Amino acid sequence: MIEVRGISKRYGNLQAVDNLSITIEKGHIFGLLGPNGAGKSTTISMMCGLINPDQGQVLLNGNAPGIKETKHKIGLIPQSIALYEELTALDNLSFFADLYNLPASQKAERMEWSLAFVGLQDRAKDAVQDFSGGMKRRLNLAASLLHDPEFIFMDEPTAGVDPQSRNKLFESVFELKALGKTIIYTTHYMEEAEKLCDRVGVVDKGQLLALGTVDELIEQYGGESRVHIKSEQGEESFMTANPVNDLMTRLKGLTTVENLSLQRPNLETVFLNLTGKQLRD
Amino acid sequence: MMKAVVALMKKDLKLLFKDKMAVFFTFIFPLLFAFFFGSIFSSSGGSQGLKIAVSDRDQTEKSQAFIGQLKEASEFRVTETDEANAKKLVRTGKQVAFIILPEGFGENYGGIFSGQPPEILVGIDPARKAEAGYLEGSLMKLGIKRFELAFSDANEMIKQLDFSIEDIQQSDDMPAEWKSLLGDYLPKFKELTELEIAKQPEGSDSSGLSFGSDGDNPMMPLKITKEEITVQKTGPRNSFSITIPQGVIWAIMGCVIGFAISLVREKTLGTLDRLAIAPISRTQILAGKALGCFAAQAMVVTLLFTIAYFMLGVRFDLIKLVLAVLAAGICFVGFMMFFASITKTEQSVAGMTNAFLIIMGMIGGAMIPLFAMPGWMQSISHISPVKWAILAFEGAIWRDFTYIEMMTPLTILTAIGVVTFFIGTRMLKLKQS
Ligand SMILES: Nc1ncnc2c1ncn2[C@@H]1O[C@H](COP(=O)(O)OP(=O)(O)O)[C@@H](O)[C@H]1O
Ligand SMILES: [Mg+2]
Repeated sequence: MIEVRGISKRYGNLQAVDNLSITIEKGHIFGLLGPNGAGKSTTISMMCGLINPDQGQVLLNGNAPGIKETKHKIGLIPQSIALYEELTALDNLSFFADLYNLPASQKAERMEWSLAFVGLQDRAKDAVQDFSGGMKRRLNLAASLLHDPEFIFMDEPTAGVDPQSRNKLFESVFELKALGKTIIYTTHYMEEAEKLCDRVGVVDKGQLLALGTVDELIEQYGGESRVHIKSEQGEESFMTANPVNDLMTRLKGLTTVENLSLQRPNLETVFLNLTGKQLRD
Repeated sequence: MMKAVVALMKKDLKLLFKDKMAVFFTFIFPLLFAFFFGSIFSSSGGSQGLKIAVSDRDQTEKSQAFIGQLKEASEFRVTETDEANAKKLVRTGKQVAFIILPEGFGENYGGIFSGQPPEILVGIDPARKAEAGYLEGSLMKLGIKRFELAFSDANEMIKQLDFSIEDIQQSDDMPAEWKSLLGDYLPKFKELTELEIAKQPEGSDSSGLSFGSDGDNPMMPLKITKEEITVQKTGPRNSFSITIPQGVIWAIMGCVIGFAISLVREKTLGTLDRLAIAPISRTQILAGKALGCFAAQAMVVTLLFTIAYFMLGVRFDLIKLVLAVLAAGICFVGFMMFFASITKTEQSVAGMTNAFLIIMGMIGGAMIPLFAMPGWMQSISHISPVKWAILAFEGAIWRDFTYIEMMTPLTILTAIGVVTFFIGTRMLKLKQS
């Protein structure tokens, strides 16, 4: 379990993270959704002990993230491709494994597992610089799983990734969840948050604006649905907070419906309603 | 947890060797520098001939001819000068030896069957045993030529015989028996030679009469009188003794730039985050980086000095050299940390480190040797860590520093290193938290 208690971080005049609190259950995929500059990476850095919060506290299973015992349980997939491009995939993994002091047999086994997990066994002996963007992202993930961490922090792991690699990555996230890992996933794509996350925190300007399951957030902040009907009486559109009931009532008076669409609010509308601006600029 | 530190160091060395530019600037360029300038300024390289100063007291045709032979011989590089200057040149180490042809040299050189062998005065540093032996051997070889010259030309020989007969007859101190024996023998020998010439076919060359020098000839080609000259230690004996430390400095600077860039690159790429998140301390991370930088320096220094020893004849005190390498290593690893900590991008760290080190190199003797600098520049050079590093290396090579004398550069280097390392690591820490 991860407990984040009122953490703040300031860079000069900029309040990068402002009194943010969340609790994440073991085995959940938690999404931090927000535009660029919202403070997602800063939050993650404080959660995994990379930087110290000015105020507040982070506890992983009740322990501070900086202590050695906890460090063995943390896997961070940085937002950048944090790999040595000139070295081979295998050399990279071997180096990062050495940082965790894995015994030789376990090290070989974990390296093999990680490569297979991201589907890069065939390219193990190739230099990272020859990889495609998607492959680099996958290796970036593999490098964080060598020590079999319990908490996995993924900072915008799909940036610059082709759709195929993106789908592979989503599968990997679900597989990790199936292995019982607790995953913290940041993104500025609402589709990713909707698809992957058990719970989502919406952040902007360092502040946590809303917190809940996707459905809860939509229900609470999504606003009305848009209904569009084309029938013998012509075309009509209306907004409603209760689309199912309203639709039932409306349809009773019609004999032929040529076209019907119901556009429910999504996280995009949640964000729009919370901040008055689009998630993506 | 030495394992992590070693892994860090190994990784950095691997990366260094994958980077062709870095390899060039840390390994190839310094070697080229040392070789190139070393050969240009080579003051007494064995291969180019011994540098000797020659002075002619005799001032005869024969003595001048002998100097001509010295100049032609590939074994020597001759500077002809007056006696006082010749001695000075050797004393100050600019020339390996001096040779003086005393009065009577020409007379004895010509007189083969009479008198004494021509005398040559040779002055050389007693410490230079190898060169002294080589010099003596080469002089003797030239000396033998005086016999060949005399005997290989029959007409010259007849002339010689005439001179000798005359000499013998005029001589007061020769025993009567010798006088009559030679007085009988030499004219007969002359007749024989004339007969030999008559036998030669028309137009043919009259040379080719060989002289049986079966080794029982009691006459020495030259009489070499040696004088021991103590050389003042004002300069190195081998120009590579200058250029190798300079090359080492360039190599170390290459390492510093390479590792400063690699450290900044770890920050910008985010690999430093991976390191920081791992269960190793910041001290271990920095130690890995520092050790990598130091190991690269030690490798290139070892390479350069191995080549210097076996190929360029540079000699050094191994213990003092190791001390110099350690102190210079600490100093420049400190600079590496310092520059990596104050810059944010690879370009700025490269530019800044380059500019600083090149300026320090220029005023510190990495281009113009310290001892060749004008006085004002030598005083400025004190502010350059490069100067102290070069001084430490030179102390171990040709300056013959005592351990006490070594202490000055070693202490300064270590102090600079400790201070810059401390500031550097402190600032890196502040940046991250
Ligand atoms: N080391 C830093 N120094 C100064 N400002 C920073 C630093 N890191 C982040 N920031 C600023 O803090 C804000 C939040 O950044 P970040 O956490 O990276 O946002 P996100 O990951 O959501 O895009 C941004 O305005 C960013 O410019
Ligand atoms: Mg970010």
